[in-house]
Amino acid sequence: MNIKNKKLDLNEFMQIRENVLLDWPTGKEVNLEEAFVFQKSLPAHLSFSSLLADAKKNQYILIQPRAGVAALDKHIELLQYLQDVGTADCLPSTIDSYTRHKRFQEAQQGLEESIVEGRSLLNGFPAVNHGVSGCRRLIQSVKVPVQVRHGTPDARLLAEITLAGGFTSFEGGGISYNIPYSKNISLEQTIRDWMYVDRLIGLYEEQGISINREPFGPLTGTLVPPSISHAVAIVESLLAAEQGVKDITVGYGQCGNLIQDVAAIRTLESLTQSYLEEHGYTDMKITTVMHQWMGGFPQDEAKAYGVISWGAATAAFAGATKVIVKSPHEAMGIPTMAANAQGLMTTKQVVSMLKDQRMPLTQELKAEMSIIEQETRSIVDKLFELGEGDIAVGTIRGFEAGVIDIPFAPSKFNKGLILPARDNVGAIRFLEVGNLPFSDEIKAFHAQKLQERAAYENRSVDFQMVIDDVYAIGKGKLIGRGSKGEQQ
Amino acid sequence: MSHTIVLGVIGADVHAVGNKILHYAYTQAGFFVVNLGVMVSQEEFVQAAIESEAKAIVVSSLYGHGEIDCRGLREKCIEAGLENIKLYAGGNLVVGKTPFKEVEEKFIAMGFDRVYPPGTDPKTSVDDINKDLASL
Repeated sequence: MNIKNKKLDLNEFMQIRENVLLDWPTGKEVNLEEAFVFQKSLPAHLSFSSLLADAKKNQYILIQPRAGVAALDKHIELLQYLQDVGTADCLPSTIDSYTRHKRFQEAQQGLEESIVEGRSLLNGFPAVNHGVSGCRRLIQSVKVPVQVRHGTPDARLLAEITLAGGFTSFEGGGISYNIPYSKNISLEQTIRDWMYVDRLIGLYEEQGISINREPFGPLTGTLVPPSISHAVAIVESLLAAEQGVKDITVGYGQCGNLIQDVAAIRTLESLTQSYLEEHGYTDMKITTVMHQWMGGFPQDEAKAYGVISWGAATAAFAGATKVIVKSPHEAMGIPTMAANAQGLMTTKQVVSMLKDQRMPLTQELKAEMSIIEQETRSIVDKLFELGEGDIAVGTIRGFEAGVIDIPFAPSKFNKGLILPARDNVGAIRFLEVGNLPFSDEIKAFHAQKLQERAAYENRSVDFQMVIDDVYAIGKGKLIGRGSKGEQQ
Repeated sequence: MSHTIVLGVIGADVHAVGNKILHYAYTQAGFFVVNLGVMVSQEEFVQAAIESEAKAIVVSSLYGHGEIDCRGLREKCIEAGLENIKLYAGGNLVVGKTPFKEVEEKFIAMGFDRVYPPGTDPKTSVDDINKDLASL
């Protein structure tokens, strides 16, 4: 293994860079010196870092949609609508799936066909094809900061173009945008490629231009236990910090049990902060983002609003800095502009109403926080051990060993031995712990929690329980009870 | 009866959850499942069907590009000598909320035998496959 968690040498970075910019013709438009000047010329209200700092200081919750269509004019229209009608505090450009896999030629065809047909055939905004000038036109057409949201294993060219284009936040990471988003790409490759992205952002930081980085919290979005996503977020934060990133928003996908979700957001921030400090990264700005429920949604829009509202309420009780909002069209795929704005308005109403209410630190909350902390620490500490102190090496070895394992992931570099299921109050527990390095006490805790539910439902703890839980919210429940345990 | 089914998520789509559930449900139903996982090209579907002598290909797509990704699959099957193979598609097959009737018509016109909306119980397609393959 030829990788080290060490700041990339600038000459080496510049050498790699020459090739990165050749991946698509628009790469030629990127001039780093000129990009610094452009970023510095942008007004403060377009800076993600400033907005996040303000929200954290003044304890209000930012709301952000997902959105992206193929054509530039339509995309600008969409973002302006979400800003003006949807009252989004910050905006995204969700990148289409061809671009995510560097299939720029197919993205180009999809873009051209979309313009001809007058509707988007792509599921996002092909930022690389639009190039630096297209991105700048977009950024200068809106009044709030814009983030790149995607799922790209090799995001080097995308980062070069969008950062030069005026985006001030970049989602993803070498683990969170590999294991849930690809099949055959090695972790060593993606961790290395994301070191490049983080080093690039570090170069902007050195110029006094703060670019926010957001490791993707929800991973596969399907019953991911908090300690799994926390471990990934912490590792990606450590890797980013080493390359010079200073502003990080760690993420988490709502599970649905309030106590577990509040405990997750609170421990996510404190654990990340603590690991960064322990490893000498002391001048970091850390904020949190909670994603409203990422799994299957009800088809009915009224029911979907229920799920969205619960996500908004949970983010407020937890005190997340930002919440990523779903739309009432979630079950059907990509929402219309109007439906997307309605999800935002629903969320804004709830987080505003709950602005002054946070969940107090009860015994139950403390207990749940303690479980998450113990589990997360046992995973992350094991990764350091496996890497003999190097977290990049340890993470790669850890995935090979299944010491860190993501449920339902498509990647062959993920062991895939763990299985999650809900306990009798809907918190997500481990039905199979696989090779996670948990203590016997923790393992027994999970087994007992699932036994409680199985006894209540008069069924066995097995894969059918997992399937029932995957479908449950779409069917109007949180817990996929067997027929005998069903509450009307 | 133990039918052989090729299963996979087409194109650049990485949605793995439904794929794992279908694999489980089809195996439980007694099918022999050749699961190609996520990010499967049309060529890989056809190749796997030839090699396994499958009677049906079940294509999933959740990310919206299904419309582009599925075009021409029927023609590729015919070119490869799989004239009678049954083609099934399911998921969020087009970008944006579209009446399912329109989606279904579009995919039937592309040569698919059956089309399913998102959130369909695996049992529905199991029953259909059993019915469709019984007559072959």
